[in-house]
Amino acid sequence: MNDLIIEKTQSTPYINFSHEHKKLFISGESFPENAAKFYAPILEWIKQIINDPNTDSFTADFEIIYFNSSTSKVFMTIFDTFENAVKKGMQITVNWRCDSENETAIECGEEFKEDLSTLPFNIVLVKGVENG
Amino acid sequence: MLNLYELYKNAKTKNIIFYYSGPIAHASIEGVAATLRKNLQYEGTDEITSNAVFSVFIEQVQNILNYSAEKFSDINSDDEDLRAGVVAIGYEEGFYCIYCGNKVYNQDIPKIKENIDSVRNLDKEHLKALYKERRRMEPPPSSKGAGLGLIEMARKAVKPIDYTFIPMDEEYSFFTIKVVTGREKI
Repeated sequence: MNDLIIEKTQSTPYINFSHEHKKLFISGESFPENAAKFYAPILEWIKQIINDPNTDSFTADFEIIYFNSSTSKVFMTIFDTFENAVKKGMQITVNWRCDSENETAIECGEEFKEDLSTLPFNIVLVKGVENG
Repeated sequence: MLNLYELYKNAKTKNIIFYYSGPIAHASIEGVAATLRKNLQYEGTDEITSNAVFSVFIEQVQNILNYSAEKFSDINSDDEDLRAGVVAIGYEEGFYCIYCGNKVYNQDIPKIKENIDSVRNLDKEHLKALYKERRRMEPPPSSKGAGLGLIEMARKAVKPIDYTFIPMDEEYSFFTIKVVTGREKI
Protein backbone atom coordinates (compact mmCIF):
# COMPACT_ATOMS: atom_id res chain seq x y z
CA MET A 1 0.00 0.00 0.00
CA ASN A 2 1.20 3.46 -0.82
CA ASP A 3 1.07 6.47 1.45
CA LEU A 4 -1.33 9.20 0.51
CA ILE A 5 -0.59 12.88 0.98
CA ILE A 6 -2.92 15.63 -0.15
CA GLU A 7 -1.89 19.24 0.44
CA LYS A 8 -4.43 21.57 1.93
CA THR A 9 -6.28 24.23 -0.02
CA GLN A 10 -8.54 27.03 1.20
CA SER A 11 -11.50 24.68 1.26
CA THR A 12 -9.97 21.24 1.73
CA PRO A 13 -7.84 19.84 4.56
CA TYR A 14 -4.30 18.50 4.64
CA ILE A 15 -4.42 14.72 4.52
CA ASN A 16 -1.65 12.31 5.37
CA PHE A 17 -2.05 8.55 5.42
CA SER A 18 1.00 6.71 6.52
CA HIS A 19 0.88 2.99 5.98
CA GLU A 20 4.10 2.46 7.93
CA HIS A 21 2.85 4.34 10.99
CA LYS A 22 -0.71 3.04 10.58
CA LYS A 23 -1.94 6.55 10.86
CA LEU A 24 -4.36 8.88 9.17
CA PHE A 25 -4.07 12.60 9.87
CA ILE A 26 -6.57 15.16 8.59
CA SER A 27 -6.27 18.84 9.50
CA GLY A 28 -7.71 22.16 8.39
CA GLU A 29 -11.04 23.19 6.96
CA SER A 30 -13.38 21.20 4.77
CA PHE A 31 -15.98 22.71 2.47
CA PRO A 32 -15.11 21.27 -0.95
CA GLU A 33 -17.32 21.97 -3.93
CA ASN A 34 -18.13 18.27 -4.10
CA ALA A 35 -17.33 16.48 -0.85
CA ALA A 36 -18.17 13.00 -2.14
CA LYS A 37 -15.75 13.45 -5.04
CA PHE A 38 -12.97 14.98 -2.94
CA TYR A 39 -13.10 12.24 -0.31
CA ALA A 40 -13.47 9.32 -2.77
CA PRO A 41 -9.70 8.47 -2.80
CA ILE A 42 -9.60 8.72 1.00
CA LEU A 43 -12.53 6.32 1.38
CA GLU A 44 -10.78 4.00 -1.07
CA TRP A 45 -7.58 4.11 1.01
CA ILE A 46 -9.54 3.37 4.18
CA LYS A 47 -11.23 0.41 2.51
CA GLN A 48 -7.80 -0.93 1.57
CA ILE A 49 -6.24 -0.54 5.00
CA ILE A 50 -9.09 -2.18 6.90
CA ASN A 51 -8.88 -5.15 4.52
CA ASP A 52 -5.08 -5.29 4.67
CA PRO A 53 -4.01 -8.59 6.30
CA ASN A 54 -0.81 -6.94 7.63
CA THR A 55 -2.65 -4.21 9.49
CA ASP A 56 -4.36 -4.95 12.78
CA SER A 57 -4.39 -1.52 14.36
CA PHE A 58 -4.80 2.00 13.15
CA THR A 59 -5.12 5.57 14.48
CA ALA A 60 -7.01 8.43 12.90
CA ASP A 61 -6.41 12.00 14.04
CA PHE A 62 -8.92 14.62 12.94
CA GLU A 63 -7.98 18.23 13.56
CA ILE A 64 -10.74 20.04 11.76
CA ILE A 65 -11.59 23.67 12.44
CA TYR A 66 -14.67 23.83 10.26
CA PHE A 67 -16.52 21.42 7.98
CA ASN A 68 -19.68 21.88 5.94
CA SER A 69 -22.73 19.65 6.01
CA SER A 70 -21.76 17.48 3.03
CA THR A 71 -18.35 16.82 4.64
CA SER A 72 -20.17 15.84 7.82
CA LYS A 73 -21.91 13.10 5.88
CA VAL A 74 -18.58 11.79 4.52
CA PHE A 75 -17.02 11.80 8.01
CA MET A 76 -19.98 9.79 9.31
CA THR A 77 -19.40 7.26 6.52
CA ILE A 78 -15.71 7.07 7.50
CA PHE A 79 -16.53 6.51 11.19
CA ASP A 80 -19.18 3.90 10.33
CA THR A 81 -16.60 2.08 8.19
CA PHE A 82 -14.14 2.16 11.12
CA GLU A 83 -16.81 0.94 13.48
CA ASN A 84 -17.58 -2.05 11.28
CA ALA A 85 -13.87 -2.89 11.14
CA VAL A 86 -13.66 -2.65 14.94
CA LYS A 87 -16.57 -5.08 15.24
CA LYS A 88 -14.56 -7.49 13.09
CA GLY A 89 -11.62 -7.28 15.46
CA MET A 90 -9.42 -4.45 14.18
CA GLN A 91 -8.10 -1.92 16.68
CA ILE A 92 -8.92 1.58 15.55
CA THR A 93 -8.82 4.76 17.61
CA VAL A 94 -10.14 8.11 16.49
CA ASN A 95 -8.80 11.26 18.11
CA TRP A 96 -11.03 14.23 17.41
CA ARG A 97 -8.59 17.02 18.22
CA CYS A 98 -9.94 20.51 18.71
CA ASP A 99 -9.00 23.81 20.23
CA SER A 100 -10.25 23.97 23.81
CA GLU A 101 -11.92 27.29 22.94
CA ASN A 102 -13.66 26.11 19.78
CA GLU A 103 -17.00 25.06 21.28
CA THR A 104 -18.47 24.42 17.82
CA ALA A 105 -15.77 21.87 16.93
CA ILE A 106 -16.07 20.18 20.34
CA GLU A 107 -19.85 19.87 19.95
CA CYS A 108 -19.45 18.41 16.45
CA GLY A 109 -17.08 15.77 17.85
CA GLU A 110 -19.57 14.92 20.59
CA GLU A 111 -22.32 14.47 18.01
CA PHE A 112 -20.24 11.94 16.10
CA LYS A 113 -19.33 10.15 19.32
CA GLU A 114 -23.00 9.88 20.36
CA ASP A 115 -23.75 7.98 17.15
CA LEU A 116 -20.95 5.43 17.54
CA SER A 117 -21.04 2.48 19.91
CA THR A 118 -17.89 0.39 19.67
CA LEU A 119 -15.37 2.68 17.95
CA PRO A 120 -13.07 4.35 20.50
CA PHE A 121 -13.62 8.05 19.82
CA ASN A 122 -11.62 10.48 21.97
CA ILE A 123 -12.28 14.17 22.07
CA VAL A 124 -8.86 15.68 22.68
CA LEU A 125 -8.70 19.31 23.70
CA VAL A 126 -5.58 21.12 22.65
CA LYS A 127 -4.47 24.72 22.93
CA GLY A 128 -4.25 26.71 19.75
CA VAL A 129 -5.23 24.58 16.79
CA GLU A 130 -4.21 26.55 13.75
CA ASN A 131 -5.60 26.22 10.29
CA GLY A 132 -3.67 23.36 8.67
CA MET B 1 -22.78 57.01 -14.79
CA LEU B 2 -23.82 54.43 -12.20
CA ASN B 3 -23.98 55.96 -8.76
CA LEU B 4 -22.03 53.47 -6.70
CA TYR B 5 -22.07 55.83 -3.72
CA GLU B 6 -25.85 55.42 -3.54
CA LEU B 7 -25.46 51.63 -3.48
CA TYR B 8 -22.74 51.93 -0.86
CA LYS B 9 -24.82 54.30 1.33
CA ASN B 10 -27.90 52.17 0.96
CA ALA B 11 -25.99 49.12 2.19
CA LYS B 12 -24.52 51.12 5.09
CA THR B 13 -27.89 52.46 6.27
CA LYS B 14 -29.31 48.95 6.15
CA ASN B 15 -26.33 47.69 8.22
CA ILE B 16 -25.16 45.40 5.45
CA ILE B 17 -21.55 44.47 6.16
CA PHE B 18 -21.11 42.36 3.08
CA TYR B 19 -22.84 42.13 -0.27
CA TYR B 20 -22.16 40.06 -3.38
CA SER B 21 -24.18 39.82 -6.54
CA GLY B 22 -23.25 38.00 -9.69
CA PRO B 23 -21.83 34.73 -10.92
CA ILE B 24 -20.46 32.48 -8.20
CA ALA B 25 -17.80 29.84 -8.62
CA HIS B 26 -16.27 27.65 -5.94
CA ALA B 27 -13.08 29.74 -6.12
CA SER B 28 -15.01 32.91 -5.26
CA ILE B 29 -16.59 31.16 -2.27
CA GLU B 30 -13.11 30.27 -0.97
CA GLY B 31 -11.85 33.82 -1.29
CA VAL B 32 -14.90 35.48 0.18
CA ALA B 33 -15.03 32.96 3.03
CA ALA B 34 -11.48 33.84 4.08
CA THR B 35 -12.31 37.55 3.99
CA LEU B 36 -15.53 37.05 5.93
CA ARG B 37 -13.73 35.15 8.67
CA LYS B 38 -11.13 37.94 9.03
CA ASN B 39 -13.86 40.56 9.05
CA LEU B 40 -15.76 38.80 11.85
CA GLN B 41 -12.54 38.47 13.80
CA TYR B 42 -11.68 42.18 13.40
CA GLU B 43 -15.18 43.13 14.51
CA GLY B 44 -14.58 41.23 17.72
CA THR B 45 -17.45 38.80 17.11
CA ASP B 46 -17.49 35.98 19.66
CA GLU B 47 -16.33 32.61 18.37
CA ILE B 48 -19.71 30.82 18.51
CA THR B 49 -21.42 33.61 16.58
CA SER B 50 -18.57 33.86 14.14
CA ASN B 51 -18.67 30.09 13.48
CA ALA B 52 -22.45 30.19 13.03
CA VAL B 53 -22.32 33.09 10.55
CA PHE B 54 -19.52 31.38 8.64
CA SER B 55 -21.34 28.07 8.52
CA VAL B 56 -24.66 29.57 7.36
CA PHE B 57 -22.81 31.62 4.74
CA ILE B 58 -21.09 28.53 3.30
CA GLU B 59 -24.30 26.49 3.17
CA GLN B 60 -26.13 29.43 1.54
CA VAL B 61 -23.58 30.08 -1.21
CA GLN B 62 -23.09 26.38 -1.89
CA ASN B 63 -26.85 26.18 -2.37
CA ILE B 64 -26.63 28.90 -5.04
CA LEU B 65 -23.84 26.95 -6.70
CA ASN B 66 -25.92 23.77 -6.63
CA TYR B 67 -29.40 25.05 -7.31
CA SER B 68 -29.60 28.53 -8.87
CA ALA B 69 -31.60 28.43 -12.11
CA GLU B 70 -29.29 31.08 -13.60
CA LYS B 71 -26.37 29.20 -15.10
CA PHE B 72 -23.38 30.07 -17.24
CA SER B 73 -21.49 27.28 -18.88
CA ASP B 74 -19.41 26.56 -21.90
CA ILE B 75 -20.62 23.42 -23.66
CA ASN B 76 -17.19 23.08 -25.32
CA SER B 77 -15.35 22.94 -22.06
CA ASP B 78 -15.24 20.75 -18.97
CA ASP B 79 -14.85 23.79 -16.76
CA GLU B 80 -17.23 24.12 -13.87
CA ASP B 81 -20.52 25.94 -14.36
CA LEU B 82 -21.06 29.33 -12.82
CA ARG B 83 -24.35 30.11 -11.13
CA ALA B 84 -25.67 33.55 -10.37
CA GLY B 85 -27.02 34.72 -7.06
CA VAL B 86 -26.95 37.36 -4.38
CA VAL B 87 -25.61 37.07 -0.83
CA ALA B 88 -25.88 39.73 1.85
CA ILE B 89 -24.82 39.67 5.47
CA GLY B 90 -26.08 42.34 7.83
CA TYR B 91 -27.13 43.13 11.37
CA GLU B 92 -30.76 43.42 12.36
CA GLU B 93 -31.95 43.96 15.91
CA GLY B 94 -28.71 42.73 17.43
CA PHE B 95 -28.33 39.59 15.33
CA TYR B 96 -26.50 38.64 12.17
CA CYS B 97 -28.73 37.96 9.17
CA ILE B 98 -27.51 36.03 6.18
CA TYR B 99 -29.63 36.54 3.07
CA CYS B 100 -29.31 34.60 -0.11
CA GLY B 101 -31.22 35.04 -3.34
CA ASN B 102 -31.33 33.42 -6.76
CA LYS B 103 -33.60 32.65 -9.68
CA VAL B 104 -35.63 29.46 -9.43
CA TYR B 105 -38.00 27.72 -11.83
CA ASN B 106 -41.64 28.32 -10.90
CA GLN B 107 -42.28 24.59 -11.09
CA ASP B 108 -39.72 23.99 -8.31
CA ILE B 109 -41.37 26.39 -5.83
CA PRO B 110 -43.66 23.87 -4.09
CA LYS B 111 -40.72 21.52 -3.42
CA ILE B 112 -38.51 24.30 -2.04
CA LYS B 113 -41.35 25.54 0.20
CA GLU B 114 -41.97 22.04 1.46
CA ASN B 115 -38.26 21.55 2.26
CA ILE B 116 -38.01 24.79 4.24
CA ASP B 117 -41.38 24.44 5.98
CA SER B 118 -40.46 20.95 7.14
CA VAL B 119 -37.57 22.32 9.22
CA ARG B 120 -38.33 25.96 10.01
CA ASN B 121 -40.52 25.34 13.07
CA LEU B 122 -38.74 22.34 14.52
CA ASP B 123 -37.08 22.79 17.91
CA LYS B 124 -33.33 22.21 18.36
CA GLU B 125 -33.69 18.66 19.66
CA HIS B 126 -35.80 17.59 16.68
CA LEU B 127 -33.41 19.30 14.27
CA LYS B 128 -30.46 17.49 15.82
CA ALA B 129 -32.26 14.14 15.50
CA LEU B 130 -33.24 14.88 11.90
CA TYR B 131 -29.68 15.98 11.04
CA LYS B 132 -28.23 12.76 12.45
CA GLU B 133 -30.84 10.63 10.69
CA ARG B 134 -30.31 12.36 7.33
CA ARG B 135 -26.53 12.18 7.71
CA ARG B 136 -26.69 8.39 7.46
CA MET B 137 -29.21 8.32 4.61
CA GLU B 138 -28.62 8.29 0.88
CA PRO B 139 -29.20 11.84 -0.44
CA PRO B 140 -32.38 12.42 -2.47
CA PRO B 141 -31.66 11.99 -6.21
CA SER B 142 -32.41 15.65 -6.93
CA SER B 143 -29.87 16.80 -4.34
CA LYS B 144 -26.29 17.61 -5.31
CA GLY B 145 -25.17 17.99 -1.72
CA ALA B 146 -25.99 15.78 1.20
CA GLY B 147 -29.44 17.31 1.67
CA LEU B 148 -28.24 18.50 5.06
CA GLY B 149 -27.58 22.19 4.37
CA LEU B 150 -31.05 23.42 5.22
CA ILE B 151 -31.13 21.47 8.50
CA GLU B 152 -27.68 22.80 9.36
CA MET B 153 -28.90 26.38 8.77
CA ALA B 154 -32.03 25.78 10.85
CA ARG B 155 -29.85 24.46 13.67
CA LYS B 156 -27.72 27.60 13.64
CA ALA B 157 -30.74 29.91 13.35
CA VAL B 158 -32.10 31.74 16.39
CA LYS B 159 -35.39 32.53 14.64
CA PRO B 160 -37.43 30.51 12.12
CA ILE B 161 -35.95 30.68 8.61
CA ASP B 162 -37.82 33.16 6.42
CA TYR B 163 -38.25 33.12 2.67
CA THR B 164 -40.07 34.80 -0.20
CA PHE B 165 -40.71 34.07 -3.87
CA ILE B 166 -41.17 37.08 -6.14
CA PRO B 167 -42.61 36.16 -9.55
CA MET B 168 -40.39 37.32 -12.44
CA ASP B 169 -42.13 35.84 -15.47
CA GLU B 170 -43.90 32.66 -16.56
CA GLU B 171 -40.82 30.55 -16.07
CA TYR B 172 -38.92 32.07 -13.15
CA SER B 173 -39.31 33.55 -9.70
CA PHE B 174 -36.73 35.19 -7.47
CA PHE B 175 -36.21 33.21 -4.28
CA THR B 176 -34.86 34.86 -1.13
CA ILE B 177 -34.01 33.05 2.08
CA LYS B 178 -33.07 34.70 5.37
CA VAL B 179 -31.31 33.08 8.30
CA VAL B 180 -30.86 34.95 11.59
CA THR B 181 -28.04 33.71 13.78
CA GLY B 182 -25.55 34.41 16.54
CA ARG B 183 -25.72 35.64 20.09
CA GLU B 184 -27.56 38.89 20.53
CA LYS B 185 -25.21 41.86 20.30
CA ILE B 186 -25.96 44.39 22.99
